[in-house]
Amino acid sequence: MATLKELKTKINSVKNTQKTTRAMKLVSTAKLKRAEEALLLSREYARKIEEVTSEISKKLTLVKDTINIRAFADINEIKKVDLIVVTADKGLCGGFNHQTIKTTLQKIEELKAKNIKIRLKIIGKKAIEYFRFVGIEMYEAIEGLTSAPNYEKAAEVINKSYEDFVNEEIDNIIIIYNGYVNKLTQKIHVKELLPIEVKNETNENEFLEVEPNDDYETVLESLVKKYIEYIMYYTLLDSLAGEHSARMQAMDAATNNAKEMVHQLTLQFNKVRQESVTRELIEIVTAIEAMKKN
Amino acid sequence: MKISIVTPFGKIYEGEIKEATFPGSEGEFGVLEGHSPLVTNLKPGVITIRKNDNKEEVIAVNWGYVEVTPDHINVLAEGAVPVSGTSESEIAQAIEKAKQLIKDASDSDALVATVASKIESAARNI
Repeated sequence: MATLKELKTKINSVKNTQKTTRAMKLVSTAKLKRAEEALLLSREYARKIEEVTSEISKKLTLVKDTINIRAFADINEIKKVDLIVVTADKGLCGGFNHQTIKTTLQKIEELKAKNIKIRLKIIGKKAIEYFRFVGIEMYEAIEGLTSAPNYEKAAEVINKSYEDFVNEEIDNIIIIYNGYVNKLTQKIHVKELLPIEVKNETNENEFLEVEPNDDYETVLESLVKKYIEYIMYYTLLDSLAGEHSARMQAMDAATNNAKEMVHQLTLQFNKVRQESVTRELIEIVTAIEAMKKN
Repeated sequence: MKISIVTPFGKIYEGEIKEATFPGSEGEFGVLEGHSPLVTNLKPGVITIRKNDNKEEVIAVNWGYVEVTPDHINVLAEGAVPVSGTSESEIAQAIEKAKQLIKDASDSDALVATVASKIESAARNI
């Protein structure tokens, strides 16, 4: 049985941990609110640009061969892909990062089984640490972008991949990240960006005019670029909001656990104290009784 | 027909309209219901929307893309400022913001002046 002093130290240390986790929860709540706002503002644009590019791609189905833009072309054989994985830079957010890593490992296996080569681009310290630890080779590792999403930097990262795609070095770009659903749930997304998919296949002979007529490829190309850049940026925002909601939950659970632990320890502390009081009393009474006989 | 105007900072306008005029990179063009599918760039200028009740609304944009289909229009603008408001000071503020947006986006003084005069004349009709 632990002594009173030991128990007291233990209770204090758990209480201190509880204070820290509570503070971290509050910080996450505040940060989540900001991340959520940024996400909601950009959600509409992300949805629309996806809709527009998909619609254009659908209309171009019939003239695909005449258009020299690889993003809209049919790619028959996939040899090499870019796998962009987004995780948080910081831990202490439950299974948030690990879920993404697990999905990535599954995807890597899946692609390897199909004999597809992979270039791994990792954004976020946690995944970088993991892949370095298990010795999986990374093509590019970027830190510090997930905690402060920035359009220019996001565009820079994805544009390198896009250029390689245009130069036929890679055949697809896949983004894996853990996104925000609501304050309590996050969802893993696996997005295959290129070539731009046609959502509902119809064989309508639709006609699409692009202005300026003589330079329509530039217009479409710049739209595709914008689409890819924006999806990357949106991914970072989504991931950040997911991270904060996951951390908020994890810290809330930790605070509750600490509370429960303090309760248990206090019970034990009181028991031990009671015991020692009783023992002392017995000792005194026996001593008195012993002295009476003399 | 439906129109939706979005920017990276949120939705600017969405609703049923009769007619819309855009500052296309190849010149101004109007869209009515049943327009053939079209994709083009926008240059700095104003989008004029005529709603079903014939009321007009003016929105300044710096640049972006517009996709037209027979039954709906999607505008993906980089920045957009609707010239509207419920009070005079609000409208004045919106006009200032709209002018600034165009000024930042364009280096041609003539264009800035044309757009500014358009914004002001539209504001008088509110």
